[in-house]
Amino acid sequence: MTVTRTASQAAPRPTFAEVVEEHLDDVFGYLAYLTRDRGQAEDLASSTFEKALRLWERFDPERGSARTWLLGIARTTALDWFRSEARRRRREEAAAIPERVDEAFVEGLSPAESVASAASSAGEREVLALRVVLELDGDATARVLGISPTAVSTRLSRALKRLEERVSEE
Amino acid sequence: MTEIVDELRATRPRASDALRLQVLTAASRPPVRHASFLDRVRGRRLALLVPAAAGLAVVSAVAVGVTRPQPSARDAASAPTTVDRTTAESGVELAAPPAAADASTAQKAAPGPVTGRAQRYVATLALAVEDTDALSEATQRALAIARDLGGYVVNVQYATGADGTSSVTLRVPSNRAGDAVTRLSALGTIVAQNVQIQDLQEPLDSLDREVAKLRARIAALTVQLERATTSVERAQLLEQRAQAHAQLRELRASRAATAAEARNATIQLELRTEEGRGAVAPGSRLDRALDRAIEVLAWEAVVALALAVAAAPLVLVGAAVWGTRQARRRREDERLLASS
Repeated sequence: MTVTRTASQAAPRPTFAEVVEEHLDDVFGYLAYLTRDRGQAEDLASSTFEKALRLWERFDPERGSARTWLLGIARTTALDWFRSEARRRRREEAAAIPERVDEAFVEGLSPAESVASAASSAGEREVLALRVVLELDGDATARVLGISPTAVSTRLSRALKRLEERVSEE
Repeated sequence: MTEIVDELRATRPRASDALRLQVLTAASRPPVRHASFLDRVRGRRLALLVPAAAGLAVVSAVAVGVTRPQPSARDAASAPTTVDRTTAESGVELAAPPAAADASTAQKAAPGPVTGRAQRYVATLALAVEDTDALSEATQRALAIARDLGGYVVNVQYATGADGTSSVTLRVPSNRAGDAVTRLSALGTIVAQNVQIQDLQEPLDSLDREVAKLRARIAALTVQLERATTSVERAQLLEQRAQAHAQLRELRASRAATAAEARNATIQLELRTEEGRGAVAPGSRLDRALDRAIEVLAWEAVVALALAVAAAPLVLVGAAVWGTRQARRRREDERLLASS
């Protein structure tokens, strides 16, 4: 007997609280890899979910999963932060000698995470976070990053190669 | 390599309890901002605007058609119109009345010749009759009207088939021309009419002056002839007087023809059955409302097309600007992430 699944029988739309509960770690993990700063990642995750709550009525489950949608918002939030950081650094460089920050230091990350985060740029780190750590497939990663699946594969292989080189040096 | 990947997955960062509590607390509150109208109509709902706009256009067209069921321009345009123009300086031409005008309108629009002056009066009437029986009766009555007014029939052409046509050329005394037009107009529905009035009084007066001059010249030649002393002189004067007499005869004939032209008016009557006249008879109120609605719809389509054509370059430029900005922003993001 064949059962046709109609729109009325489709899975009910989850509540925002359920989505938060399910994907908070994913969003935080992605932001932690991207920023290499747990404290900053927490701030950005908080901002991400504030935005998501405001935009929740626009979320359409048929267009993509809640995880992909949330990670897209997280990426936009992180990019805004990167831009503001870049502007701040430019202002500081113009005004005085900038304070030296140890980029390799990442508080609270495991040794492997530290290697991974120190080994690559933010662009490569986010591919590692999405494809390796969060185990998103190529299409979902491409949607989050706004690039083609082929570009995702290229960027991932480059990041893994660099990571391998770094691990070999260690 | 696999070990590192496994370790990365095993030690993936977890959100702190404080962050979890903070976000979950915020999530339990209802969103402050409600979806705006644009949010609500976004995406697939925007597609509903197209049939809604089309429905509105149709409803407005029908509303205009029902409330203003005027005879459509198509009906008026299909009615024959007069084409000739009077070329004489003193000529007067009257434009044809609208199709399907009634006889009273024709009566007002078709004046007779001015009494006291010689005029050439030519009227052309195009009438529609119901069927071939009515065509035959109207033709017979037109001939009777001409005889009744003291005129005569110059030419009659009568033909019936799928469509019936009748062409009658009448001559009636000029002082009865107005009556003739009025009575002939009542034989059917006026499709077109044309009245040409050309003043002939001035040419007649000119001919009269020429005649008087020639008479005076003949009289003078006669006196000279009586006083002539030589045979050669007499022969020359006789020759001149003969020529003057010949010119006088020509002038008199010309004057008589002009006067005869002015005495009688020419009326050309064209009769056609409804099927043959080409004009669309006024339809029912529903038909006219539908015609009007279709007309309004056509205009709405034209306006929409014009707006689309006018807006297309702006939309293209806007899309190009938006696309360029998006591409530049993406490149900047890539550079930013590569350097962070």
